[in-house]
Amino acid sequence: MSEPARVFPIELTVNGHRRAVEVAVHHTLLDVLRDDLGLTGAKECCLVGECGACTVVLDGRTVDSCLVLAVEADGTEITTVEGLAVDRDLSPLQQAFLDTGAVQCGFCIPGQLLSAHVLLADNPHPSVPEIQEGLAGNLCRCGCYQQITEAVLAATDRAHR
Amino acid sequence: MHTFAYARPTRLAEAVALLEAHGSDARLLAGGTDLIIRLRDGTAQPGVVIDIKRIAEMRPSIREEAGCLVIGAGTVMTDIAADDRVRRSYPALAEAAAVVGSVQIRNRATLAGNVCNASPAADTAPALLVYGARVVAVGPAGTRHIPIDTFFVRSGVTTLARGEIVTAIEMPVPDRAMGAVHVRRTRRRGHDLASVTLCCGVDAAGVTRLAYGSVGPRPVLGVDESGVLADPAAPDAAKGAIFERLFADASPSPRSMRASPDYRLAMLRVLGARALSTAIDRLAQG
Amino acid sequence: MSTGRIGTSPNRVGGIGRVTGLNEYVADIRLPGVLEARLVTLDCARARIISIDASDAIKVPGVRLVMTAADLPQPVPRFGPQFEDRPVIAVGETKYHGEPVALVAAETKDAAEEAAGLVHVEYEELPAVFTLAAALDRAAPLVQEPALRPNDRLAATNVLREHRIGWGDVDAATADVVVDNTYTFPMVTHFAIEPHAFMAAPDGDGIAVWSTIQHPNWLQKVIASVLGLPLSKVRVFAPDPGGGFGGKQHAKLEPLVAFAAQRTGRPVRLILSLEESFQAARRASCEVRVRTGVDHDGALVFEDITADYLIGAYADIADRVVGKGSYPAAGPYNVPAVRILARSVLSHTVPSTAFRGFGNPQVNWAVESNLDEAARAIGMDRLAIRLRNLAKKGDAFIPFDTPADGDWQQTVRRAAELIGWDTPLPAGHGRGLAVGIKSGPTTGLSYSTVRLLGDGSVIVLAGTSDMGQGARTVFAQIAAQELGAPLDWVTVVMGDTAIVPYDQQTSASRSTVLMGNSVLQACRSIQAQLRAMAARLHGLDDSEVRVDGGVVHLPDRELSVLDVLKPGLGRLGGELTGNGEVRKDADPSHPLSGAPAFFEFNCTAIEADVDAATGDIVIVKHVTVSDVGKALNPLQVTMQDEGAAIQGLGHTLMEHYTYDEKGRIRNLGAIDYRIPTSMDLPLDLISEAVENEDGPGPYGSKGMSEGALLCVASAVGAAVRDATGIAIRDLPLTPERVWRALHERPTP
Repeated sequence: MSEPARVFPIELTVNGHRRAVEVAVHHTLLDVLRDDLGLTGAKECCLVGECGACTVVLDGRTVDSCLVLAVEADGTEITTVEGLAVDRDLSPLQQAFLDTGAVQCGFCIPGQLLSAHVLLADNPHPSVPEIQEGLAGNLCRCGCYQQITEAVLAATDRAHR
Repeated sequence: MHTFAYARPTRLAEAVALLEAHGSDARLLAGGTDLIIRLRDGTAQPGVVIDIKRIAEMRPSIREEAGCLVIGAGTVMTDIAADDRVRRSYPALAEAAAVVGSVQIRNRATLAGNVCNASPAADTAPALLVYGARVVAVGPAGTRHIPIDTFFVRSGVTTLARGEIVTAIEMPVPDRAMGAVHVRRTRRRGHDLASVTLCCGVDAAGVTRLAYGSVGPRPVLGVDESGVLADPAAPDAAKGAIFERLFADASPSPRSMRASPDYRLAMLRVLGARALSTAIDRLAQG
Repeated sequence: MSTGRIGTSPNRVGGIGRVTGLNEYVADIRLPGVLEARLVTLDCARARIISIDASDAIKVPGVRLVMTAADLPQPVPRFGPQFEDRPVIAVGETKYHGEPVALVAAETKDAAEEAAGLVHVEYEELPAVFTLAAALDRAAPLVQEPALRPNDRLAATNVLREHRIGWGDVDAATADVVVDNTYTFPMVTHFAIEPHAFMAAPDGDGIAVWSTIQHPNWLQKVIASVLGLPLSKVRVFAPDPGGGFGGKQHAKLEPLVAFAAQRTGRPVRLILSLEESFQAARRASCEVRVRTGVDHDGALVFEDITADYLIGAYADIADRVVGKGSYPAAGPYNVPAVRILARSVLSHTVPSTAFRGFGNPQVNWAVESNLDEAARAIGMDRLAIRLRNLAKKGDAFIPFDTPADGDWQQTVRRAAELIGWDTPLPAGHGRGLAVGIKSGPTTGLSYSTVRLLGDGSVIVLAGTSDMGQGARTVFAQIAAQELGAPLDWVTVVMGDTAIVPYDQQTSASRSTVLMGNSVLQACRSIQAQLRAMAARLHGLDDSEVRVDGGVVHLPDRELSVLDVLKPGLGRLGGELTGNGEVRKDADPSHPLSGAPAFFEFNCTAIEADVDAATGDIVIVKHVTVSDVGKALNPLQVTMQDEGAAIQGLGHTLMEHYTYDEKGRIRNLGAIDYRIPTSMDLPLDLISEAVENEDGPGPYGSKGMSEGALLCVASAVGAAVRDATGIAIRDLPLTPERVWRALHERPTP
């Protein structure tokens, strides 16, 4: 598999479903998710790994999908925002975002949700500074940071009811 | 983005052969957090991109071997910052790894990549210099262990020869206690590229190591063996003189838009003094 | 779970789509057969285009069009909300770094990108102006051809317009103390997380346009005009933008994309990169000289203000920003003599446009900072001087204009209380307090239609743009309240000019008041129909029936809306429809073409800690209090105020374009243009709303959402001055700037 190629067949699991797609090697994971797999939840913004609007979960960790070539995601498990709801019900975290008013224009929210989702998986009771640092790679120009932090805290309570 | 050919070798020998064959027309892809940006903006236009992440001999790992802590080339910043051995014996490196970009960036960015990218502002460089790290490089002529302070030439340029790949960064197990800290200057508290990076380490023998970056073409290491810096009771004037000697090589670029030269030079001194104080405290706490 | 009633905070309408990723923004809409477009721009600010050679580009497989000025109707159509000065694409000359000279449309993004790189433009760089000093120099090259402004005595200069406001006689005024300083405000950009995106497709004998536009009806007019089509053949779809803040108010590249769709006969879409968005819209930078005259007892005697705003190469709405922003520059105070001269100065830079605050933050920074200096000069407390001069409700603080419409003292006192103004400060900390005022809309026209369907559910058609401020939710709450429907039985339809009635625009924090009142009117109309229906059904006179909220009151009992509606509609079913029209006509005798419908008023108080060695500022406490009349949705009010406060911290502490000597922006993109992250918040951010139900909007509401941004810089600057003894008059207060001010201060 080490002959240089320009087109590469990849297989990845996206939101629990196995997907096989042939990709151009210079296309990013973000490109393929949005354009080839029809999952437009991950957004395009800065394309330099600063804003986090393109955040997805790759093998259990958040990454900026604009900085991952699709070919690098071969054989990986990807979760996008479309994969957070459980059987069409909003996850406790999604519901918490709505309830605390953490959503304004919404463009950064898929990335925020995924970063929060993984943060809580690794650290079920994060402090406020841990939340702020954990989500610092997700910019929100509407300025919902305080409500987003509250939503993450609320989601931790919810998980224990 | 310009197109290129993509190769995904699974053995080190394949990777070396590819590198040797394509020379400067090839770029290595580890975390991608630097390379992808360059591919997109056209500052890198390789014919071949070689993905190192599936190379068996370069899997992410942190292991103790032959009196060193060896960090495999594929190891990402998140894991370095969280590793107990790094945090215990090389805390300044853990601190540096913890501030490279955001969580998303740290989940991909590798230490080896940070080092090979050779940005003068590389956050991990000062700590690596203080800890006396070596770059392990495998090439057609065999394996070299390159001291990090000879590895950086200038921005984007290292002493790697054609066909050589960095397989690991190793740091000798410290033979004496050291207190060390990593500090930096940024434009905001959120993640940012540093306009000054600095690591100060004070060891039990009274030797102070001070490495700094982003104030010249390459990160610089200075050593004070007089014991003056390490002595909290030493007079400020004496310490000041030594700091000036250590900072003499700083030459920040006047063209940078992140910070002007005089601010950087002033911050070097502020950070140096603060880091020294913290390093002494940490040494005392053990 | 809340009832949705006014004054409660039900979950955002449209929120579910945003947390599931299913909400479609413009860039998420993929039409079959769409061509991907890319722009060709030059690596300099101003250049004479000598030739454009597309022959290599057109050969790239998949390329369907390379469009330049030569391919458009001649003369190339121009557009613009104030002056029709902006050509659809650069004609013969580019006037700012990033102005497109060609558009490439291809089957794939890759092909478009490759082809764009193969368009060879031969050009000659021309002398250009990027600063106020350069633009105002007698020998400066002119940004605009004088022929565009016939009969204008300023046409031979780069001054687009002069705005003079004033009353009393400043020159004859005598004040005990005069404080005279000059302040600067930087060039910043909106940086909505969603970059601008545009798409157009032939639609029968007309055209359909998708855009991130905040003003769909305005865009419809522009497209109709440049394409020579009747309005009825131009359909604008305006999905909720991913943040606007003013940067998406007016047409930018939609006309170009529309022409491309017409030429190719196919849908064409252009999604800007973040860098291109930075080159599409920004806020005007400003230099303001303020002379403040006060007496020893703290009475303001005069304010003499000269504000030069550096706008871009095309006017967009920038001159309106200058005129309207500078109008209340003397502040919400009773000042006997005021003279304001504000100028919009053209430059070869990104066209500046509306941005939250609309020209007010720039003068606020200067005038409020100067008021602080005046207070210090007479030894008066900086809160006391404001309370002493603040206009009281009903005062004609701007003569012959809308009087002060709120209890502003109350807002200021509350902010002072929350910051602990009179309590001891920790060592090294400083406190600042500032007020901000902004005129609400001066003209307006909002139609709406409300449909009460046969099962009691409701559809609201309202042309406001919901870009995050929560307009959908507010209108749904109004309809739910008035028609007795549960909130989740109300659907709000926006953003389609073929279906939704006319709305002038979404700006100036107007929508709750203007469109809100329109929706209320429509609901009242339906209530009247329900009244007549109930009267008919029960053999009563109309006057014996009252409909209030969701309840129908008969002389002897109460019925629900449904109890009347179902029998009233009868076996054929149907629905009741109501229309609303809220109109605020222009008043040509007024300098702003109309008195403001309301004022936004805010008081911001800051406690800050400054690290003198590094220049770092930590905002320990940030208090923001706004006078909102009535919070129809309190949580949304809080979010707008906190969001505005954080955005204000951006230009206060870290945001600014840097240009090189050739007028190229050096810090395009997210790596070197810094905005606040979650780690850059004040340690304690507190927002409160004052609600006296004294606004012209539904239930006594006023507009809000810009107020909390207006005076952030002034309050922070005042806190820094308080902490360090140094007044810094230029923004942003970056660590380096603060450090330099501290280290270059003259030694006593």
